[in-house]
Amino acid sequence: MKKRFLATILTAAMALSLTACAGTTAEAPAAAEPAAKEAEAETSEAEAEEVTEETEETEAATEGEPITLRMAWWGSQTRHDITVEVIEMYEKENPNVNIEYEFYDFDSYFTKLKTLVASDQVWDIFQLGGNFPEYLDKIYYMNEFIDSGVVDTSGISDAYLKITQDTEGNQIGLSNGLNTYGIAYDVDMFKEAGVPLPTDDWTWDDFEAAALKISEHTGNFGSSGFTSSEFIAGCSTYIAQQGEVGEYGFFNIDLDGMGFEDPQMLTPYIEMRANLISSGASPDAGAEMEITDIENDFLVTGEAAMTWVAVNQFPTIYDICAEEGRTLALATVPRIKNDGPSGTVIQSSQMLCVSQDSQYKEEAAKFISWFQNSVDCNNVLKGERGIPINDAVREALEAEATDGQKAMYDYVTLVGTFETPEKINVLSPAGQDEVVDNYRNYIQQVVAGDITAAEAADKTYADAQNLFE
Amino acid sequence: MSEKTERTSGFSKFINNNNTVGYIFAFPFIFGFICFSLIPIVTSFYYSFTDYSMGSKSVTYVGFKNFIQLFSDDVFIKSLGVTLKYVLLSVPLKLAFALLVAYVLTRKSGMVTLYRSLYYVPSLVGGSVAVALVWKQLFARKGLINVVLADMGLKTVNWFGDQKLALYPLILMTVWQFGSSMIIFAAGLKEIPTTYYEAARIDGANGRQTFTNITLPCLSPIILYNLVMQTIQAFMSFTQAFVITQGGPNNGTLLYALNVYNQAFKYNHMGYACAMSWFMLVIMSLITLIIFKSSKFWVFQEGGED
Repeated sequence: MKKRFLATILTAAMALSLTACAGTTAEAPAAAEPAAKEAEAETSEAEAEEVTEETEETEAATEGEPITLRMAWWGSQTRHDITVEVIEMYEKENPNVNIEYEFYDFDSYFTKLKTLVASDQVWDIFQLGGNFPEYLDKIYYMNEFIDSGVVDTSGISDAYLKITQDTEGNQIGLSNGLNTYGIAYDVDMFKEAGVPLPTDDWTWDDFEAAALKISEHTGNFGSSGFTSSEFIAGCSTYIAQQGEVGEYGFFNIDLDGMGFEDPQMLTPYIEMRANLISSGASPDAGAEMEITDIENDFLVTGEAAMTWVAVNQFPTIYDICAEEGRTLALATVPRIKNDGPSGTVIQSSQMLCVSQDSQYKEEAAKFISWFQNSVDCNNVLKGERGIPINDAVREALEAEATDGQKAMYDYVTLVGTFETPEKINVLSPAGQDEVVDNYRNYIQQVVAGDITAAEAADKTYADAQNLFE
Repeated sequence: MSEKTERTSGFSKFINNNNTVGYIFAFPFIFGFICFSLIPIVTSFYYSFTDYSMGSKSVTYVGFKNFIQLFSDDVFIKSLGVTLKYVLLSVPLKLAFALLVAYVLTRKSGMVTLYRSLYYVPSLVGGSVAVALVWKQLFARKGLINVVLADMGLKTVNWFGDQKLALYPLILMTVWQFGSSMIIFAAGLKEIPTTYYEAARIDGANGRQTFTNITLPCLSPIILYNLVMQTIQAFMSFTQAFVITQGGPNNGTLLYALNVYNQAFKYNHMGYACAMSWFMLVIMSLITLIIFKSSKFWVFQEGGED
């Protein structure tokens, strides 16, 4: 009896330790991909700390002291390649500066950032988009560097500085570029199916009809990837398109409540989304999983006629398709009525910020200034992050723009002519990720017939409202 | 002088003491256990009663709110159901498969060791992200499985697009990693005295009879061990769901550990995620307890004391 008891205890103990082990391995995959980089960054960080101890008193004054800055961003392979190239350029110009970089896809980037926020080790220079309010505590405002001239803003117009300021005028970061959403489409696929090409004032009905007809004729998806940007570019824009210009928004201007009252305003949009999926004109959840970034989107692989893009992504996919002899073009986000509000605005794609945790805030700011203002640097970056905000840089790039880039510039100019509300807020409140994930699941439930589109709209609205309680 | 020798001898007595030696050698484990298991376990228990999130540093005590919220959280309830289904299907299948292969590989042949090693390989690589990615490609819309199905003139299956189907490729991947259970079964099979089989053969028992009447009862303590281990491991599964489906479609593959991860790192509800983990511990303890309690009905005690 005693023996059996002992055996039981031992098995239980083993079980417990196994549980603990499994717990640690469970978290590993998330970090697995950039683990090597991370290790690298950590060593450099240790080095950096040592250096600081020595130089703390003379931090700013000594030019030649070797310093290490840590930088991170998210994006596609093209972005990784060109960013690494300009980092090496900067290191060559400033031999005392060593930049340790890490790059991720969008989701992993924010997972990593959250762990760094918790441990007060956010990268010196980091990239943020419209979801920055969640990380405000970690952002070091750039005002003092602009005043002292470390950051050169002489070539940037006030309007473009403003897109990355908070309501009190604090410079949160410098924008990586101007951006707006659009729909990229394959011209030949439209012609093949005999569908008229999108016009600047096309509607959601036109969009749906085109997608359905193309998928019927060609067997391809009419419209592909409703991935990360769909919630903002589609669902949220759909609300802004109702009523008068600026009457509604998904969230209100101050971002502390909803910007519309009737959840049913969402229903037609959700219904359309579900209808496209169930009729095979748009990828279902399984197919959508196969899209990992814009470069293997179904539009790019030739399996879809349209996809959603943030327009800074357009030149990249344009070039890829051009190599295969296919022509892409940009269409506006469809409207509810031809003459109704467009709901689209020009905004900052992302920005580079200086971190509160940085040992070398001034050096970090200096790099950001160079990154946004140097023509040489931007000749490599080529507006991949959005249309540069510095006038000289923009002119230099526009002068030798490729066809894909020209289409992007023209498109942004076109959207710029649309009537926009006086006050806009393109930021996202903290916790939006969960709302978006649930929203996507509701659409799948509508497709599966578990709930109706009206119920999905109610649920999405309730989830979003919960953010403010 | 004499005092010094006394001190050194005192030190050497201390260092050569059995207990000291034991502690020194156990130190790496003790250190690891305290830092990477005990402290996180204790802090997570504390956090489960707070609204801690990694973004904001503030920690407010909220009592049992997190635990109560679990029962009104649709996503949580769904993920619990998915996980139970996953465990109930994957564990018995995996054990059955492991036992089958182990049984087949008990015959005396030079190639047995090679085969055993080959069958163990999936367990070595199975937990990795790379294999999960391969799995994702295999079952993709135009992946190998569907190509084969199409070539055979069958209808292709949209594995990851249908929430009722998406879990099965994940279960299959788990079953495929039967290696470690197989090794334990193989060792257990070797322990069964051959005299039993010889006696049974003389009595005219056929293969099926010897298996059900000798092999299974004699192996039952090992089956119990494997069952408990694999059940716990199955509850902790994370990689497949994270890499292959990210929980979709419609949370049809949202395994418990992935849900915890999402809440903690994606949605910034660390306190809530900690509460979920502790709730999981309760569920797992209960299930393990049930398995142990039930074992007296089916685990055969050799030389039984009753």
